[in-house]
Amino acid sequence: MTDDNNRRDFLMRLGIGAGVAGLAAQAAASLRSLVPNVSYDAPTTVKLGLPSEFPDGLKFLPDQRLFVFREGDVFHAISSVCTHLGCTVRAEALSQPETAQVGGKAARLTHRFLCPCHGSKYSGDGGNVSGPAPRPLSWFHLEVAPDDGQLVVDLAREVGRDFRLTVSLGERA
Amino acid sequence: MSTAPSSAPGVHAKKLWSYRPRSDREAGDAVVSNFLLHWFPAKVFKPSLDWTYSFWLGTISAALLLLLVLSGLPLLFLYIPSVERAYASVKDIEYVITFGSWIRSVHRLSAHLMVATVFLHLVRVFLTGAYKNGTGRGQRREWNWVLGVAMLLLTLFLSFTGYLLPWDQLAYWAVTVGTNIASSIPLVGPRIRELMIGGRTIDQPTLIRFYVLHILVLPAALGALFAYHMWRVRKDGGLARADREALLKEKTEEPKARSKTYTLLGVARGTAPTIRATTLEAPDLQVNAIPDLTRRAAVAVLGTIAVLSILSTLVRSPLEEAANPLITPNPAKAPWYFLWLQEIVTDTTVHIGSFTVNGAFLGGVVLPGLLVVLLTVWPWLDKSPASAAGIWLPRTRSRQNAVFLVLCLVVVLFTIIGTFCRGPYWHFYWPWQSWPEIPSRI
Repeated sequence: MTDDNNRRDFLMRLGIGAGVAGLAAQAAASLRSLVPNVSYDAPTTVKLGLPSEFPDGLKFLPDQRLFVFREGDVFHAISSVCTHLGCTVRAEALSQPETAQVGGKAARLTHRFLCPCHGSKYSGDGGNVSGPAPRPLSWFHLEVAPDDGQLVVDLAREVGRDFRLTVSLGERA
Repeated sequence: MSTAPSSAPGVHAKKLWSYRPRSDREAGDAVVSNFLLHWFPAKVFKPSLDWTYSFWLGTISAALLLLLVLSGLPLLFLYIPSVERAYASVKDIEYVITFGSWIRSVHRLSAHLMVATVFLHLVRVFLTGAYKNGTGRGQRREWNWVLGVAMLLLTLFLSFTGYLLPWDQLAYWAVTVGTNIASSIPLVGPRIRELMIGGRTIDQPTLIRFYVLHILVLPAALGALFAYHMWRVRKDGGLARADREALLKEKTEEPKARSKTYTLLGVARGTAPTIRATTLEAPDLQVNAIPDLTRRAAVAVLGTIAVLSILSTLVRSPLEEAANPLITPNPAKAPWYFLWLQEIVTDTTVHIGSFTVNGAFLGGVVLPGLLVVLLTVWPWLDKSPASAAGIWLPRTRSRQNAVFLVLCLVVVLFTIIGTFCRGPYWHFYWPWQSWPEIPSRI
């Protein structure tokens, strides 16, 4: 009698346990299917155009969310993605350009950046000055494409604030 | 064929229930035989029905939910959840489809008002200590409070997923900011964001996720919790006010003399508590659910529907420019009920030496999380006497009511600042100050 009950209890528990395990596995499988295995991101290496097409000063490239700075034949690129919550910051020209130490070199800052979402402020070199931004804006690597001489940005490759690309414009202009 | 007398118990003289009962018997029958009235008791405590006790905020919230489901139904047929066509379909609903604009307004305004009424309902329940258990058996009012908190969160999440669907600028940047808040959680944040938006960039997988959450998952969850919420109200013996009346009665009457009487009469062999029921002790305060409760519920529900229907002809629902990942609007404001959060994430970035805590995490995750935890466990922290339940602002709870009200005021204040005092670049402007001219595009 006791043996019989034990067997029944055991089988009952086994049945319930198997049911619960089966449901749990199916639920886990369903949820796992929602975790993306692939993300169809835009390419991170993008051709931006010939260096000579860039105006002196700043040019905003909305597609890449990027500011490209040109000073003569020297280029650098700063991200426009706010480091706080990812809105696109806007550039505002300074009435008086400032000179500041950027990456150990003296640099002329012509703009500052302001975020429309939560009011973060960045200096012309991307340094976070005030507001909730926790970090400076990212600087990205620039190079000249070997095939057609276009400026190429690598959005997956952050660089220090001393990065400058000097292009010998005479060859291509 | 046996013909039972129509007055016998359990036998209904009428096939249909009566909504204008002429006797207590008919009133009770109506509750028993009508499916829709099953969530009402046959008798209710009259003071529980006072307009100025509950302000019927729960009923109004439920009426708004009903309106949301009803107005959501035609929208389901008209809206297309695709990033290419969502905006155009909403534009069609707004400008082309007959009554489309009105239906959309009913849906949007109901959602806005529901956030407000659910929040006010929570405030009412708190200030009247209605999550406190009285003398009834098996009461779990504190759990109904927890259900309520969960329903408030669901209401907010439903609103969030709802205003994303038009795929306009508001939608796009709200998803950007909202999912980046999740992304700010250390270690697991970026994975959570990927799960939310179905990849690393906001695109079709994002829209379809929020769409399914909005039309299926969240309403189903809210519906289930709503049913459970109502069931618990019944199990707990109605509103907390009914407990209070029983409690006060207990104090004023003398159980000793009472039990003696019963013993002398031989009515009950047991002790007094077995026959102590509010129905017996205060028959004057018990009224039939039909029509006393149903009439008031009808006023609340029909009134809500009427107000919303009329309001929706007067207030049109805005539709911003189509989603543009290239340009963030300036200022980019969340809907009013999230502006306090937008204000908090703005103000909570902390720099300690070279170490920085992102406001996105502190203000967007930690602080709201703490608030929710605090709200959830509050009934267990509340040590006030049972007599403090079912009454507005009792002295014995004045301190915790003050703390709660201060928290609410901070949220309301931040909402007001966010709504009226923030301009381009989230700069502070007084409402009477004009904003500077800033080009809307770079």
